[in-house]
This record gives sequence, C-alpha cells and structure tokens, in this order.
Amino acid sequence: MDLASDGRGVVKMATEPQRPTGDARNPQEVEDASLVARARSGDREAFGVLVDRYADQARRVARAVLQDPDDADDAAQDAFLAALVKLEQYDSARPFGPWLMRIVANAATDRRRRRKVRTAVSLDEGLVAGGARPDVVAEREVLLGRLRVALAELPERRRMAVVLFDVEGYSHAEIAKVLGIPEGTVRSEVFHARRKLRALLADWRDDG
Amino acid sequence: MTESNTPFDHRPDTRLGAALREALAAPGDRAVFVARVLAGAARQPAHPVEHLLARWAVRGIVAAAAAAFVAGLVIGRGRASTEPSVSDPDPGAMIADVQAEPNMLLVTATGR
Repeated sequence: MDLASDGRGVVKMATEPQRPTGDARNPQEVEDASLVARARSGDREAFGVLVDRYADQARRVARAVLQDPDDADDAAQDAFLAALVKLEQYDSARPFGPWLMRIVANAATDRRRRRKVRTAVSLDEGLVAGGARPDVVAEREVLLGRLRVALAELPERRRMAVVLFDVEGYSHAEIAKVLGIPEGTVRSEVFHARRKLRALLADWRDDG
Repeated sequence: MTESNTPFDHRPDTRLGAALREALAAPGDRAVFVARVLAGAARQPAHPVEHLLARWAVRGIVAAAAAAFVAGLVIGRGRASTEPSVSDPDPGAMIADVQAEPNMLLVTATGR
C-alpha cells in the first residue's frame, strides 16, 4: 500500500494533502490558498491541481455516505463543480480541505436523499460474511467487505465522523465545522463508530 | 503502530484508518475521475464574472426598487405640502373677496 506517516501517526497516501500539525497554516494550506486564488481568477489549471489533490479524499468521504462507488463518484464530482462556483465564498485564511469536505458531505447527503431506496447496499455481496464466494476470494477482501457493511450500518453522521477522523486525519474541531455539529458530538460519534468497527479488526490483526 | 485500544483515544487510529481507507477506495480509475470533473468544469463559465454579474444584477434590481420607493415617497410628500387644503383657507383669497364688495357697490351706483 502506498502509505506514509505524517509524524502524528496519521497514515496518508503519499500524493494527498498533508494535515496541519498545529494552528498555524502549513505549506500545503498556503499552497491551497494560492491555488484557490488562481482558480478564482479563472485559472482552470489551478483548479485541476486542487481536484487532483483532493480527489481521493472526496471520493472516500462521498462513499462513506453513499456506499455505492458510482454514486459516490457522481457526488464527489458534483461537489467539486459546486466548489468551483462557490470559490468566491471561500475564506482563504482557513484550510481548504474542511471547506471542500463540507461541500462533499452535503453533495453526498443530497444525492442520498434524492435517490430511491435501493434494495441492498452496493457491495460485493459475495465478500460479505456468509456470501457464496468467500472460498474464492482472499480473506482480506472478505474482511474489507465486512468492514464496508459495518460502516454502512452506522448512522450517516457517525460514518462521516470516523472516516474524516481516522482516515482523513481531520481534527475534531474541523470535523465539527464540516458536519455542523458540536465538537463533543464529534468525539462521541467517533467513539461509537470505533467501538463497532474495531471489533472487526480483531480478525484483521490475526491476518496481518 | 500508535493506536490505543480504547475508542476514547483522541489520536487517529492508524490501523482502523488504513483498513477503512482500503475499504472505501474507489474502484474506478482515479485519472478518469479527475478528467471527468475537469470536463464538467470546462462546461462552466471560465471566469466567475458571470456569477458576479448575476449576483450584482439581483442587488441592482433591489437597489433600484428601493430608490424608486424612496423617490415616490419624497415626491408624494412634496405634492401633499403644496396643495391647498379645505381646512387651510388662502388668506389672499379672503382679502380679495373683501375688496370686491366696494367695486360691486360702485357698479350698482353708476348703473353699469
């Protein structure tokens, strides 16, 4: 896996934005602000850099809400285009990531509300526990499938909170702004999500 | 590994984070997704001026309506203050009425 640590124990993809380690803006955030300024003045190349930088993060957050990867990609795309239109409203003194993730979360939630209720979560059903194919797929894939199911069973806000915290490395305060809830509620949501998801990782530990 | 075994831990759980990251990884090609977004962006106005103009147009209409309302009020008050009212008789007219009476008497006396 193409992973790197930011020194705070946060595992990140090497190509993705690094999270700030303090209150002061890090070089990544300064660069983001510069790219936004260029994008505001019509520089599509700068906007392209921002899209490339935040694509994976946006797709994961959208998928945490929608489960279905195609729906998630559509929502993430909607969010990027909405962000392009709303760039004038972005306060460049603040980090770009949480601002964008709020738009992504809203786009995904809107799409979930609009779409018809599906009969089942769009997962590789054979990978789910008790499925027909566990004997032909890797055990790791089975665990990933179980994790997706467990994640899908969490309330939406809890799902987003744990993904933004443990996957994307945002702080509780940043997540509170993204989700529009108090910081204490974010902590509570992360706590409950972890309690459920960590039970599945016992198998993961045995595996790895 | 730095994660603690308690869900209370305020630090990100690297093991859980890595597992979730893998579970949520989009199966589609990343480059295709980025290209899709940029294609969508290309269909939008290249410069936000259009959006600004649209916003200003709304503000302009509101400002014009407010200005018209205020102008209407001012003009209306101005007219109201210049028009004579029944309760406020014109003193000049009253004097003219009084002065007319001798003339009428003169005309009567001369037979014209």
